[in-house]
Amino acid sequence: MDESQLIARVRTGDSAAERALYDAHVDRVYRLAFRLAGDDALAQDFTQETFIRAFDRLGSFRGDSAFSTWLHTITTTVVLNGLRKVKRFRQREADIDDAHDIGVAQRHAEPDLKTRLKQAIDDLPEGYRTVFLMHDVEGYTHEEIGAALGVETGTSKAQLSRARAKLRVALSDFAGEWTA
Amino acid sequence: MMDQHEDPTFEQWLKGAARTTYHAPRTTPRDEMWNKIVAARRNRHVIELRPWMRWAVAAAAVLILGIGIGRWTAHQATRDNESPIASASDSSRNLVYAVAATQYLSRTETFLTSFRAPGRSRADNARFASQARDLLTTTQLMIDSPAGDDPRLRPLLEDLELVLVQIAQLDARGGAHDTDLITQGMNQSNVLPKLRSAIPAGPVPVRTEGAL
Repeated sequence: MDESQLIARVRTGDSAAERALYDAHVDRVYRLAFRLAGDDALAQDFTQETFIRAFDRLGSFRGDSAFSTWLHTITTTVVLNGLRKVKRFRQREADIDDAHDIGVAQRHAEPDLKTRLKQAIDDLPEGYRTVFLMHDVEGYTHEEIGAALGVETGTSKAQLSRARAKLRVALSDFAGEWTA
Repeated sequence: MMDQHEDPTFEQWLKGAARTTYHAPRTTPRDEMWNKIVAARRNRHVIELRPWMRWAVAAAAVLILGIGIGRWTAHQATRDNESPIASASDSSRNLVYAVAATQYLSRTETFLTSFRAPGRSRADNARFASQARDLLTTTQLMIDSPAGDDPRLRPLLEDLELVLVQIAQLDARGGAHDTDLITQGMNQSNVLPKLRSAIPAGPVPVRTEGAL
């Protein structure tokens, strides 16, 4: 059974077809949610919310684009909005913690490459980070990214290029790792 | 031709390092998530209004508003002599909130469409920030009202709250970069299409009442 037939069956309320459609796409949705969120509980929440929205709104899917493209548009919307809310909440918590920690001396160990890479990716502007993770880490094409984020393909390419440039500068201390 | 900023060796190394070390996902917990999806959908009762139903609801809401105002004024006149009477049933109160929500959404749609329009000057930032603060207050009241219990409306209200917070923080010194970031965020989260789809079809004067 091809995907359009599967979608037609989901529209009629066929729960087996819903599960089949879910199984066909859940890995990619969960992986992307996890890469962007970095937290299993959040990634699961975002994945569930994505599929709940997708099933609720399947009536509005006209088939002009691939189902996966439509689904990834929902995924990125759910994840990025969710992360913004989490970030605001954590910022408030951090502000409170900072107020409590005034006067407490802290020692920081020299970060290793893995830590620095994580920090450098986390520090990228949201658009750059999203495009970098989708393209370089999860293997989406610029066309898929453009459709999912509602931007031109050229914008996706430009953001990826800038993201790589920023990462190269941020990791310049470790240049020996890739020139060796 | 290779861009002067490109470095294929670095990019290859970066891809490999990021794939293996940055937020590497575990095996997808398929069944665990599926069970939660099924349970959540079972508990969700979203009523989709068809166009004719929207008209019926709008007409009923206007009627109930009229009755509500009539009763309220009557109660004001006889308040000292009579015991309190419930002013409206829960369902009619919800319809009143639905009408208020429609007017609020129309106003916000107009505002965000104006904000996103090109050709904005820096001097406009202060005006937009002031208007965003007004709408933000209304948004937060809407979230706390029965309209905020609507599972279809609540995520939209929360998205709008986030956008309005960002616009409210703009100042006259803010450059195009700040507004571009907000616009980019709006595009990524599809706020305007979602907002437009949440506004019931209706006569223009009703939809745009109170707009900028």
